[in-house]
Amino acid sequence: MVDNDTKDVVGQGISRRQFMTGVGGAGVGMVLGGLVVKGFILPDEVLAIPASEGYLLVDTKKCSGCTTCMMACSLVHEGRSDYSLSRIQITQNPMGRFPDDIFMAQCRQCPYPPCVEACPTGANHADAENGNVRTVDPAKCIGCERCIQACPYTPSRMQWNAIDKNAQKCDLCANTPYWDEEGGPGGKQACVEMCPMHAITFTTQTPVQSTDGYEVDLRTGTSWELLGLSA
Amino acid sequence: MYWFREPVSSNRADVESIGLSDVLKSLGGVGEGMERELLFDSATWLVWSAPLVGVLAAGLSRRRDPVIEDTRILRHDMPARITHWTHGIGTMMLLISGIALGLFFTPTLVGGGEPVWTWMNVHFVFVTMFLFGTFYYGANTLISPKRFGEHLPTKNAVDYTKRHYGLLLGFKKFTFPPEAKYFESEKMAYLMAFASTVLIIITGLLKVAAHAIDMPAWILAVATPVHDISTVAMLAFFVAHVFFAAVIPVSWPVLRSMFSGYVSREYAEKDHAGWIAKIEGRPVTDDAK
Repeated sequence: MVDNDTKDVVGQGISRRQFMTGVGGAGVGMVLGGLVVKGFILPDEVLAIPASEGYLLVDTKKCSGCTTCMMACSLVHEGRSDYSLSRIQITQNPMGRFPDDIFMAQCRQCPYPPCVEACPTGANHADAENGNVRTVDPAKCIGCERCIQACPYTPSRMQWNAIDKNAQKCDLCANTPYWDEEGGPGGKQACVEMCPMHAITFTTQTPVQSTDGYEVDLRTGTSWELLGLSA
Repeated sequence: MYWFREPVSSNRADVESIGLSDVLKSLGGVGEGMERELLFDSATWLVWSAPLVGVLAAGLSRRRDPVIEDTRILRHDMPARITHWTHGIGTMMLLISGIALGLFFTPTLVGGGEPVWTWMNVHFVFVTMFLFGTFYYGANTLISPKRFGEHLPTKNAVDYTKRHYGLLLGFKKFTFPPEAKYFESEKMAYLMAFASTVLIIITGLLKVAAHAIDMPAWILAVATPVHDISTVAMLAFFVAHVFFAAVIPVSWPVLRSMFSGYVSREYAEKDHAGWIAKIEGRPVTDDAK
């Protein structure tokens, strides 16, 4: 068998072939050693995600189902009015009766965000520059839709943006290129501003982690109360 | 205020590494109560290992130079064949799975959810094969740079290519050039394959790294389209290569040699006169000159 490849020497007494064997062997050893260290020696990591500094609250009983909030959401984020691109969802049951005929589905900015945890690339993250609102970086999204599946609520508060080809979610209007208002937890939210029924509001206090925590009474103290329509 | 939670399997920071048996299991159906793993996320270590195993294999391999054995000539030794088929099959399956995933975006070829994860896992498996084959080749080339030189076009590239394919197309005025081990046309295509392979690997590893560390978004915003464009270039090369090296009958002797290692001396003297002359230590003669 002819082997002419062992003649070249990269250093004193070391052939190129020996050098490659060393590099490959050491590299494989390091990877496997790292696995052992990570798997058996280092303790499990604990994920710490800072709480969002803002939350949307809704009063479904005030919602008329006009979907202005959906149009506004899509418009300020995407520059087009498209229900499919809205990050807040209004669903209606034409057979239902008040107050079970309309459902407002806003992202809860969960303290334990399953969508953030599910993301394999860190595209879905707590945005430290915008009050830790849970948001998606489109450049890092690989389109696996794990976040959409991970959201425990129906409809999923994560959506697939079929135009820009990435997952998206409510960012409390932190990134609204088509709106000249300051958004995010420290600013305004288009759905809150545009809702003609004032059925959506914003709070910096972490709601009680239940449906009742996010669906509140926004009627008491308003003209609705005079009409006997408060809680 | 911070909220703490114990690690879950789907979390990128805390995902537990899994073994080969889990990788194979993940490619199959989803068992009851078992969520399908995204292998790029849970078995990232295999992506880092594959190139290193390729380098190690090159170090441990013993290469054979082409040699005339009576009526046949050793054209591809075993390492060359392993390199070719791991790189080639890897490339083919990466193109198929990558395009399936790419067309997921527009138009939809793969539905959301499970089909996407399946194709991503297929992509993962062949990424490891592709990386092994490519780094096996790369390390072999560094050990013996002359093998790299065999693939590079010479000053005869345009002239030989014109005469070679002109004759194949039936233009009688051309004479077959004394091609070396690889045709000059193959050598020019090699440059495109080489460039696209390098770009695909660099950008692909950046995309994989995003599963392990917090990558800056701008890097991925560049890596993703470069990966896609390189894939188109690789697809063009791959289709042309398969056609010219496997589909048309004149290429079948070389295709057989990619399994057996050998071509007949008769074929080599006809199609690779320059190569034979080099092996025998004779000067290359060109009928056209």
